[in-house]
Amino acid sequence: MAQTAGRGDSIKHAFIGPAFLVVLVVTLFPLIYALVISFQAIRLVPPLPPRFVGFGNYAEILSSARFWGSMWTTSVIVFISVAFQYVIGFALALALHHNVAGASLYRVTFLLPMFLAPVCVALIARMVFHPYLGPVNDAMGMLGAGNIPFLTEPNLAIAVLITIEIWQWTPFVALLMLAGLQSLPGEVFEAAKVDNIPAWRRFRDITFPMLLPLSVAVVFIRLIEGFKVIDTVFVLTGGGPGTATETLTLFAYNEGFKKFNLGMTSALSFTFLIVVIVFGTLYLAAAQRVTRRYA
Amino acid sequence: MAHVALKNVTKRFGSVTVIPPLDLEIEEGEFIVLVGPSGCGKTTTLRMLAGLETATSGEISIAGQEVTHARPGERDCAMVFQNYALYPHMTVRDNIGYAMRVHGTDKATIDTRVNDAATLLGLVPLLDRKPKNLSGGQRQRVAIGRALVRQPQVFLFDEPLSNLDAKLRVEMRTEIKLLQRRLGTTTVYVTHDQVEAMTMADRVVVMNAGRIEQAADPITLYEHPANRFVANFIGSPAMNFLTARIENGAARFGDQSLALTEEDARRLGDRGEVIFGIRPEHMREAEQAAALTFMPDAVEPLGPHTLVIGRVGDTKLTAQVDPRFGVTPGTMCTVQVDMTQAHFFDPESEARL
Repeated sequence: MAQTAGRGDSIKHAFIGPAFLVVLVVTLFPLIYALVISFQAIRLVPPLPPRFVGFGNYAEILSSARFWGSMWTTSVIVFISVAFQYVIGFALALALHHNVAGASLYRVTFLLPMFLAPVCVALIARMVFHPYLGPVNDAMGMLGAGNIPFLTEPNLAIAVLITIEIWQWTPFVALLMLAGLQSLPGEVFEAAKVDNIPAWRRFRDITFPMLLPLSVAVVFIRLIEGFKVIDTVFVLTGGGPGTATETLTLFAYNEGFKKFNLGMTSALSFTFLIVVIVFGTLYLAAAQRVTRRYA
Repeated sequence: MAHVALKNVTKRFGSVTVIPPLDLEIEEGEFIVLVGPSGCGKTTTLRMLAGLETATSGEISIAGQEVTHARPGERDCAMVFQNYALYPHMTVRDNIGYAMRVHGTDKATIDTRVNDAATLLGLVPLLDRKPKNLSGGQRQRVAIGRALVRQPQVFLFDEPLSNLDAKLRVEMRTEIKLLQRRLGTTTVYVTHDQVEAMTMADRVVVMNAGRIEQAADPITLYEHPANRFVANFIGSPAMNFLTARIENGAARFGDQSLALTEEDARRLGDRGEVIFGIRPEHMREAEQAAALTFMPDAVEPLGPHTLVIGRVGDTKLTAQVDPRFGVTPGTMCTVQVDMTQAHFFDPESEARL
């Protein structure tokens, strides 16, 4: 009896085997491999044999001003741009939902930035904000304030990066919020109209709370995606001047592909993962407190 | 002067005319039911009253105020929707009190009115629940509560009972009617259910293709339908219609002849073809009865009475008979027709003769 049960068990494991193997090879192995490397000092060019250093890489990262600088830069870009993306995107969605004149035309043009590759967007922005050739500085010049060093002055460069993020990803927010708006029950708003609730209160008391769960999800997606920003920064400023606009991912890239310091790069990637998880968890916990009031 | 009036109101959606010129006057405190088949324009009419649709032309007035182009909120109507349209994220208490809160009513008044409404509608134990934790009937009661705390000029109901099960519908029907009696607020109620219309209304407005076919109290509609449409729509099972010829004071179809009452005979004279209408429940023994023979196809016993479904010539016919009435499908049978209850309609205009 016990024997048959035992044999049944082993067959069960045999069936799970292939799937487990696939997961192991495809997902877990690279992760574990990277984790192991993050505890080693290992360099490709010039080659340096792997040497176990324990938490040495992590300690170095946490004591590095460059890491905290990139952390700050990334956070500034992400939080400011996502806030603007959400507000502008929601406003656009509302305008489209209420069929402002020419809504069908806007619907298409508003979405275009999202379809462009970030590298292209950055190239366009590089021309637009060029200190001598760009139209922005031309316009500024006409207003008597020409030649603003948009890409070489740290704060301005970050502002430009934020602008690009907003420009490119607001349509994504608008699209999702529009879908949310269109899925709301129309009768609820008709009831509010008959009850003489002004438009602003309808938005504040009905639309906004009903879309709160969606808003939380949209902002979450944008936060996570935003933390990964590298392509626009890479093309536009390369992290400069100095490391003033270097984001976390760009920092990791520079370590890995300029210094070929793989141990450090792995450790950075895991630090980055932890940062995102911490921010994500804090955000979701905060969001849950707010949504629970309306659930 | 009428409390609510629609004068020459029309509604077009693009090139489609939904409401040809429509006139309707509603007295203060009256319970009006708009009834008709799907797409007859009853809901559009109600929504025009609410201001959720704009009339293409014509004039609408409520309580002496011309409101044709007024926003919904300016009309002092309260509306109850088929899908309840409750604010899903607010408790029952907040749902009922929300409009008052927005309009700056003081908190004590809000509390009093919400509690009064909740007591009236049996919602007191549910005040702190969210709509998703309520049953359909409870939700609809909340929607009604939300309408009545506003103390509006007019209540508008858009098929409020359609989403409820049959038993609950009957209960709510009575509740709404009693509530309206008690509050005395002018009420316009839309339904496609003729039983609902008959049982609740002071006056039923039967609509078809955007036109008012007849507006009258329930008994008048039943006893003196203005035309064939109303006769067919009101009553269940529906009235039977047979094409007949009026000759020598009798209605003839095929080889059968049913003697008319003296009054009918005098009024109709000899006029050739008419549509003869008789309700299934009027096929019964009576002082002025005439025998009608037909071919039964099916028998449907309902308990208190039995429906016999059959044919006269090619025309379908339903008779409501005593449960013990002996009838076998496939064998000709004869029923008595109460000729005092016969209706006659013009075959062309379908108007009552």
